[in-house]
Amino acid sequence: MIPQWTLLLATAAVEEVAEKGKLFDFDATLPLMAIQIVVLVLVLDKLFYTPLGKVLDDRDEYIRGGLSTAKARLAEAEALKTQYEKELAETRRESNTVIVTAKAEAKKIADGQIAETQQAAQVQREQAQQEIDKQKQSAFTALEPQIEALSRQILTKLLGAELVK
Amino acid sequence: MHMLDGLNIINPLPLAALEVGHHLYWRVGGLQLHGQVFLTSWFVIGLLLIAAIAAGRNVQRIPSGIQNLMEFALEFIRNLTKEHIGEKEYRPWVPFIGTLFLFIFVSNWSGALLPWKLIHLPAGELAAPTGDINTTVALALLTSLAYFYAGFRKRGLGYLAKYLEPQPFLLPINILEDFTKPLSLSFRLFGNILADELVVGVLVLLVPFIVPMPVMLLGLFTSAIQALVFATLAAVYIGEAIEGHGGHEEEH
Repeated sequence: MIPQWTLLLATAAVEEVAEKGKLFDFDATLPLMAIQIVVLVLVLDKLFYTPLGKVLDDRDEYIRGGLSTAKARLAEAEALKTQYEKELAETRRESNTVIVTAKAEAKKIADGQIAETQQAAQVQREQAQQEIDKQKQSAFTALEPQIEALSRQILTKLLGAELVK
Repeated sequence: MHMLDGLNIINPLPLAALEVGHHLYWRVGGLQLHGQVFLTSWFVIGLLLIAAIAAGRNVQRIPSGIQNLMEFALEFIRNLTKEHIGEKEYRPWVPFIGTLFLFIFVSNWSGALLPWKLIHLPAGELAAPTGDINTTVALALLTSLAYFYAGFRKRGLGYLAKYLEPQPFLLPINILEDFTKPLSLSFRLFGNILADELVVGVLVLLVPFIVPMPVMLLGLFTSAIQALVFATLAAVYIGEAIEGHGGHEEEH
């Protein structure tokens, strides 16, 4: 049955349209609708397009401003960084030279002191040696007569007094 | 109509009735009006106004809720207008193009989504305002006025020179274009919306269960596309009137 219904329905609809021609029924709806739309455009312009458009523009401006400030700050930071890096390198080099010179100086001083001390020690040792030698000499010379006497005594003891004379 | 009445008795669903070309006539001071068109158009306008007021009432730099939605719509409209009218001239035309788009879009979707037919009128039935030829012709004529205004305002009487471009013997065709533009605009919209409504109506009448769903979804898609097409073409016509005919291919 359904196909017949469709047919009936279609013919009925077409007859309706053809009979009354109300599909293309122009009347005062047209101009009034146009006026209504124009008023809607004006009202929405006040309520919607202008305020929200302003918000969008302001936000764009804000973001752009923020972006450019951030960019400027970034560039500034970059410049500071390179400057600091340069200063750092310079300082490092300076400190290096200071360290090297200080080391050299310290070595020189240490070397000098060591040499001086060694020399002084040498001198003292030589003096001491001389002293010892002298004392030995004097001790020998002092001991000479005693040796004489002792050896005589030993002889006397061994050989007897008569023989010694 | 007897046949249809008989069908309605057989059919248990209240949605399934088909009426074409019936209007709820209002008479205001000797003028004849289509009442159902005005009722639904007021509903659509009211919806737009409520959304606009809700979005613009307390604007924030960081948007949320309805403001976010409406900003998205505004940005979409701005981009569309900018693309077709050009960076320099598009700003004054945003309200017009935007209102065309929003009105047609909300009208079409209200016709496709809302069960208007549950509300019984003495005659005719409620449907999308864009399914009535008066509405679409009104919108199309406004578009024509808009692009004439744009052309004359930008280029003065020099605007008339575009009728002789690119060759003077094309004058009749160029004049004809001024008639075909509103005609194609209005009939495209009217035909699409009415056809969609009729197809859905017939299918609901025959098989009131599940089967009309894909067609309804297709109708939603068509409705959105038609709003976009109307707004885009309006923007293209205005842009064309502003920048002149030379070296600009028209899209149809």
